[in-house]
Amino acid sequence: MPKQLFIDPQKVRKPGKITFGEIPVNQYNKALKEEKENYSAGDLVRIYRDMLVIREFETMLNLIKTTNEYQGITYNHPGPAHLSIGQEAAAVGMAFLLGPEDFIFGSHRSHGEILAKGLSAIHRLKEQELTEIMESYFDGRTLKVVEREEHKDVYDLALDFLLYGTLAEIFARETGFNKGLGGSMHAFFPPFGIYPNNAIVGGSGDIAVGAALYKKVNREKGIVVANIGDASMGCGPVWEGISFATMDQFKTLWDEPYRGGLPLIFNFMNNQYGMGGQTAGETMGYGILARIGAGVNPEMMHAERVDGYNPLAVIDAFRRKMEVIRQKKGPVLLDTLTYRYSGHSPSDASSYRTRKEVEAWMQQDSLRFYANELVENKLLVKEKTDEMHTETVQRIMKILTWAVDDQVSPRMDLVKHPDEIGELMFSNGSAERMKEREPEVLMPLEENSRVQQLKKKERFGLDPQGSPYSKVKTFQLRDGIFEAIIDRFYKDPTLVAYGEENRDWGGAFAVYRGLTEALPYHRLFNATISEGAIAGTAIGYAMCGGRVIPEIMYCDFLGRAGDEVFNQMPKWQAMSGQVLKMPVVLRVSVGSKYGAQHSQDWTSLVAHIPGLKVVFPATPYDAKGLMNAALQGTDPVVFFESQRIYDVGEYFHEGGVPEGYYEIPIGQPDVKIRGTDITLITVGATLYRAVVAAEILKKEYNVSAEIIDVRSLVPLDYSLILESVRKTGKVLISGDATERGSFLKEMAQTIADLAFDDLDAPPVVVGSRNWITPAYELEDYFFPQPEWMVDAIHERIMPLEGHKVKNNFTNDKLLKLKRKGM
Amino acid sequence: MAHPVIMPRQGQSVETCILTRWYKQKGEKVAEGDFLFAFETDKAAFDEEAQVSGILLDIFYEEGDEVPVLANVAVIGEQGEPVDEFRPAERGKESPEEVESASGEKPEELMIKEEPAVSTVAYRATSGEIPISPRAKKLAEQKSIGYTNLAGTGPGGRIIERDILQAIRQSPVVTPLAREKLKSGKLGMPQQKAHPGIRITSGDLIEKPEEGTVYTDRPLSRMRKLIAAGMQRSLSESAQLTHHISAGAGRILALRQKVKTLETGGRLPDITLNDMVCYAVIRTLEKHPEMNGHFLGETIRVFRSVHLGFAVDTERGLMVPVVKDASRLTLPELSMTMKELAQACQSGSINPDLLAAGEASFTVTNLGSFGIEYFTPVLNLPQIGILGVNTIRYQPKPLENGGMGFFPHIGYSLTYDHRAIDGAPASRFLKDLCAETENIHPGIPELE
Repeated sequence: MPKQLFIDPQKVRKPGKITFGEIPVNQYNKALKEEKENYSAGDLVRIYRDMLVIREFETMLNLIKTTNEYQGITYNHPGPAHLSIGQEAAAVGMAFLLGPEDFIFGSHRSHGEILAKGLSAIHRLKEQELTEIMESYFDGRTLKVVEREEHKDVYDLALDFLLYGTLAEIFARETGFNKGLGGSMHAFFPPFGIYPNNAIVGGSGDIAVGAALYKKVNREKGIVVANIGDASMGCGPVWEGISFATMDQFKTLWDEPYRGGLPLIFNFMNNQYGMGGQTAGETMGYGILARIGAGVNPEMMHAERVDGYNPLAVIDAFRRKMEVIRQKKGPVLLDTLTYRYSGHSPSDASSYRTRKEVEAWMQQDSLRFYANELVENKLLVKEKTDEMHTETVQRIMKILTWAVDDQVSPRMDLVKHPDEIGELMFSNGSAERMKEREPEVLMPLEENSRVQQLKKKERFGLDPQGSPYSKVKTFQLRDGIFEAIIDRFYKDPTLVAYGEENRDWGGAFAVYRGLTEALPYHRLFNATISEGAIAGTAIGYAMCGGRVIPEIMYCDFLGRAGDEVFNQMPKWQAMSGQVLKMPVVLRVSVGSKYGAQHSQDWTSLVAHIPGLKVVFPATPYDAKGLMNAALQGTDPVVFFESQRIYDVGEYFHEGGVPEGYYEIPIGQPDVKIRGTDITLITVGATLYRAVVAAEILKKEYNVSAEIIDVRSLVPLDYSLILESVRKTGKVLISGDATERGSFLKEMAQTIADLAFDDLDAPPVVVGSRNWITPAYELEDYFFPQPEWMVDAIHERIMPLEGHKVKNNFTNDKLLKLKRKGM
Repeated sequence: MAHPVIMPRQGQSVETCILTRWYKQKGEKVAEGDFLFAFETDKAAFDEEAQVSGILLDIFYEEGDEVPVLANVAVIGEQGEPVDEFRPAERGKESPEEVESASGEKPEELMIKEEPAVSTVAYRATSGEIPISPRAKKLAEQKSIGYTNLAGTGPGGRIIERDILQAIRQSPVVTPLAREKLKSGKLGMPQQKAHPGIRITSGDLIEKPEEGTVYTDRPLSRMRKLIAAGMQRSLSESAQLTHHISAGAGRILALRQKVKTLETGGRLPDITLNDMVCYAVIRTLEKHPEMNGHFLGETIRVFRSVHLGFAVDTERGLMVPVVKDASRLTLPELSMTMKELAQACQSGSINPDLLAAGEASFTVTNLGSFGIEYFTPVLNLPQIGILGVNTIRYQPKPLENGGMGFFPHIGYSLTYDHRAIDGAPASRFLKDLCAETENIHPGIPELE
């Protein structure tokens, strides 16, 4: 809702019609001899060599999967291998013009793309650069294996390095490109510009957009190619990624030199099948995939179908599209038509297609076709092609021999180091900035109106008499978050923040008020209403090396970003063997008052997924300190905020919220009120209800409650909690998450495990009811209330003399609710 | 042998339960642990398991019946065994309507009826197990507190930390050595009622009975040995006999009542009947110096003042502290002194000098509070006399108008050493004691 864009009713109400331009389909029609001037003879042969290497690599994998043998070498590979035999020309054509600074993202079927991009990068790198990359990658661990044999030069060595690193990764060897933790569907090698493939169909559809955003915002060289399948066109994240990538603001609102389209090609590797589903004619309605571009933006995404069975046609298309991107007119949609002879996977019986169809495509096999062209144009003699094939087979045999040898290519030793994978889940880095350069801001920090306002606020929420200051005078929780974030914007040049209503509005809950005037568009902007893409682009942005704060306006919308938050954000650090970092702070606001789809506390869902740090501060002091820690770190942090308490002052921390920088380590709970008789543990905003419960306990029953705010869910250091529980022997855990399967239960179980002999009663959980969140007027029957806590203590921990319960926490009631799924 | 199945008692306040469902039918085979029937109190529902295996020979209550707790509801046994002896007396007399309504009700509805939010706390504790929290158990073990007889105040009667803490406050102090020995498991706490301030030493511990034995040999404590030797010597070395008499207790009872109701702001101690009797004994002894002395074989030692010994029952056994120069004391002073001495005995802090038999010139021992009517106190040698004080009884007595009335009387049993004194003077002593009792002058203005 920027004010500079005037929506003129005269204009928008005018009658008219939308006209579309033409979308080229297979327009390339040059014979090789017409291209001779554009390529060196070596290049044209190299194209064949690359296709040959890919074909043999995949043939080998196919034989290993189906017969456990390749050229006399036996091996059983139980893991996946989604092959692309038949698609080599598309892969090599795609990669031919790309250098190491250009990033590709892939799918589950990307072996060919990885090898093609690697071969292209190797060709473009200098000897010295290649040596440095190979020697420094995991301290030369992968290199050491291929150095067992003499090579004629660095390029020869690098070719083995690429093939071996990929194959060892597919076979889950520690010497693979990602320590064997990525595997077939996730093998990648960033130094060659090969970014993660993705086992989730369309997974790269928004992540790659984030990488392009990174390139633009940080003014880094190169383009980004999202190699995704034709069937992924049916996936939400792909559409969201396309929507995000084609936002008008890049061309209308962003300042020079950032103005203009994203350097991105959505390259649909269109092999015409989604597993067994035929996209054209069966599962989609576009007829020709490239048609989609017409509906997206006036540029029609420069969409084009290109014949992926002719490497030169693909190269030609990329050459033209890269020029479009150079002119900042991206992104581009390419429909690269191809076909796979191999099944979806080796277990595929091809029951969905006829032998005739496969054979018809084999008749037009790109390798044979291109080899003939080379021979006809006297660039290669027939014997030489056979020689090249033999040489390739021998190379693949050599690589395979190394990759299946447990001595040469060991797997991660989880007997010796049982926690080795666990240790890779978080990088636990500490970095003030992700890049060394001056952050771009629009004004000195101290001139910012909000910064000036905050100077006048009371940083401790209570006056000397113990009464709360008025809201307008109080330094609030939202101010704590703001201070940490604006501080980081002035320190880390790579930091960007976006989400729904992040810019002019100042965030739906006024956390960002004041940021708009301080930051240029490319650092703070409104995103499409695409939670998947908001999270997904942040993942791409972070894995390229930037720091980012995406925002989910309501926790309930997290489901819209399910794949991104559950499958992508948490996994890539470990799946890359920590080659990639993930400095994403995903702000998630937990609502109330707005009913069933705007009031849920989903902290437990996120805490369940390994690989995410999860925090939920409840006071301004904690909010600022934890946000500082999250922004200083290099791990994905899901930062929950509660809309109930954006306006609370700091009532616990002596001295209030410091003006300067400080961090609260993620994972440390905090005692908010000291007590001796019972421990009340809270998550998020329930802290304040527990305080009321503690007052009732003290006043009515002379029971002294100790209140611990966990602040972080993952990681969580239990020592403080156990110390308290050992003292009191009694513990009640409360949070706004629905009780069943919640993190509250996780804590209860852990406490029972670790402090069983000290417990005077089982740990008792008081969460929300296992219902829909009702209307605001009925919320007190849904969310934990102070009276519930007292009743539960009376019923399940320690009967309180004279206490009359209002809520039923009996065994019978509990059993009945469980029986009914309530 | 046939076994009755009872309706279990779920909590002290529960008198009846509704039998909601029979899982087994009459004549059906049941195995130990099978669910037999379901029942509910006004607050919770339970399942009862069979405690024995056999045939369900008979069922005395139908589904829906209200059953008194502990009543027999069924019999399990071998085919053909008689069951009538187990049949509850009231069964069979019930009206046809009751049977009708009982079988017509849907028990399921009773079970799922929405319960009001009331605190219940009835857990299905496995029989024989005492529900106790881990924390309470740990604390009990650390402090060597037995919990099998404690009443838990946690949910469902679970023994929780506060119950053990309460027991600790009420239980005797256990010396570190005794605690160590208790931990060995071979020795146990002496059987006695909990009483604050008592120190249990290692010598007080008793051997735990081994499984299968019918008795345990408990070594005598040092104190028990002393008492045993003293009693034996008294009976074998003296010529003791006992006279019984009773004195009108109207006046002392009235005085006692006055003491109880009088608000003196703490100026007066809580003067008991025993205090008053002792005061009367002192006054009487002053008139009968022959009773206030020691028989020493060749001589009789007569004391100028009364040094009154009085028996105190303590956890460790009988103790007899002495009030020196009791003749000099007013009734309140006597009362106070005796209380202090008794307290010192209970807590174990008594000056041993005040316990020697030779220190007292006469002893009073009171079993009245136990309802004892007559007994023969044993002399505390070398003292010549010991007075046993009995319970107060109502005895008929002629009224002035010629009728008969019942009046309270307190019984006295005087044991004396016939070597030192004869029957007549002993009887005169008792007679005067009765008069002193009946006409006691406490010397306190408020009580006159």
